[in-house]
Amino acid sequence: MSQTTATVPAKSPAPQRRRSGVAYWWRRSGLITVLRFGGITAFIALWEIGARAGWLDPLFASSPALIVEKLVQMVMDGSIWPHVIASAQIAGLGFGLSVLVGVPMGLLMGRSETIRATLEPFTIALNASPQVAFLPLLIIWLGIGLTSKVALVFLGSFIIMVINTEAGVTQVDKRLVETAHSFMANERQIMMKIILPSALPYIIAGMRLAVGRTLVMVVVAEIYASTKGLGYLIFQAGGLYDTAQVFVGVFVLATAGVLLNGLLRWAEKRLAPWQHLQNG
Amino acid sequence: MIEIRGVSHRYISGDETKIFEALSNVSLKIESGTFVSFLGPSGCGKTTLLRIANGLITPSDGEVWIDGERVDGPAPDRAMVFQEFNLLPWRTARGNVEFPLEVQGMARAERDQVVTRALAQVGLDRFGEFYPHQLSGGMKQRIGLARALSVGPSYLFMDEPFGALDPQIREMMQLELMKLWDSDRKTVVFVTHSVDEAVFLSDRVIMFGTSPGRVIADIAIDLPRPRWTDDEAIKTSPKFIQFRNDIWRQLKRQLVAMPDA
Ligand SMILES: Nc1ncnc2c1ncn2[C@@H]1O[C@H](COP(=O)(O)OP(=O)(O)OP(=O)(O)O)[C@@H](O)[C@H]1O
Ligand SMILES: [Mg+2]
Repeated sequence: MSQTTATVPAKSPAPQRRRSGVAYWWRRSGLITVLRFGGITAFIALWEIGARAGWLDPLFASSPALIVEKLVQMVMDGSIWPHVIASAQIAGLGFGLSVLVGVPMGLLMGRSETIRATLEPFTIALNASPQVAFLPLLIIWLGIGLTSKVALVFLGSFIIMVINTEAGVTQVDKRLVETAHSFMANERQIMMKIILPSALPYIIAGMRLAVGRTLVMVVVAEIYASTKGLGYLIFQAGGLYDTAQVFVGVFVLATAGVLLNGLLRWAEKRLAPWQHLQNG
Repeated sequence: MIEIRGVSHRYISGDETKIFEALSNVSLKIESGTFVSFLGPSGCGKTTLLRIANGLITPSDGEVWIDGERVDGPAPDRAMVFQEFNLLPWRTARGNVEFPLEVQGMARAERDQVVTRALAQVGLDRFGEFYPHQLSGGMKQRIGLARALSVGPSYLFMDEPFGALDPQIREMMQLELMKLWDSDRKTVVFVTHSVDEAVFLSDRVIMFGTSPGRVIADIAIDLPRPRWTDDEAIKTSPKFIQFRNDIWRQLKRQLVAMPDA
């Protein structure tokens, strides 16, 4: 072994890795994977068994099999799509706008004392208040259509984007700003080439939080002011004690949340690799 | 020509309760085309003076004039090599060297050429696509040097640019720097903790003392140039050894006088 290492140093790690491959994988990620999938599988199994054995009242708890059946049926007959599309439209517009407005605003607030002093009272107040309480007002102002719902999503998510972006700007390494300054970068260049890339991990973390907030706001808005959308679907099914359909709605929303989160996590690793490689 | 006129600097802590006098009444004239080293114990204000001369901070008192103009901010013909490298972690080595050129609006094709040349000058042409976290401390430092060289400055402020290099590379880089400097004779202000390095490179060694930071000696080094062609002969010459011993003796006195020494 030591001879192999000495004569072919470039290849020495390979046999080592192969020898302890399974044990290594198990230590690194096997146990975690088993725990992750094991936990959720056990939960679903118990739920199903409980429903079949009669420990759980299917009227209240439904059951995994019933939910899947309902989901498949709604996908096959196409009745779920108008709801998905309606919700996706509100979520997409509201979330998109909140990033488009929140990031620049957070950048400016983090960079300029004047702008921060002016706007901070508003952002603190909005962040502290339960934004759903604005829905009646938004409906009065903007009507019952798409606009008021997008506005509610925006209100909830944009504040997260502002606060996270601002936090990202405040932690920018001052020495890098000084370096850029020493090489004659102007304020716009410092913003685009130093502040924005440094704050990017915070911005993406903010987007991940904002996805969650967006989904909540979509549901709330659709419950109160809609005749379609997943929020409406859930609310209507609840009224009819159709628990399987309630769970279908929740499941679709949760899946969307998990997927978007995963996508953003991946984007963060791609866009800010130094954050991960430095420690690992 | 750089004229430092009665510069003092006080750092004030964030809550304004503590005032620290980093520099006290420093006056210096540095002729264009000379290579000057700052030598002195840690904390005596060398970095502070460099930042003031480059226009990054405004001194509490006094002023700096360069080529007959008062310094009140950075200028395109001055570049700094930072003690802590200050590389942008999201840019490759190339991207970092390219940064000042991009900011100053050079066309891409020209930029590519200049960056390639600057990377070659510091011996890192094969590491252009590496990110800072993939480079060793010495490599990062050389990228910082390449970045400063890329703008072709007439004034180069180098803050312990070889501090993170191992002794062999350090000597090689000193030779490279001398060769480079002989080709265009920029005005260089070079901060170092190494007496040998200061004597070998400089026309003048300016020694600083602490508490408060101030100039305690200004020694002209009249060793023959070029020095890179036969560095061994220079470094073993009686004159070199004499300079080194003189400076070391004075430096020792400063270090002994330091409160925490
Ligand atoms: N931003 C700052 N705020 C407060 N004090 C500072 C600041 N920068 C430097 N100082 C203080 O000023 C003094 C001089 O610092 P400076 O960095 O100029 O020293 P230096 O001679 O470059 O030291 P070294 O050789 O260790 O790099 C130090 O005592 C330091 O604590
Ligand atoms: Mg220093």
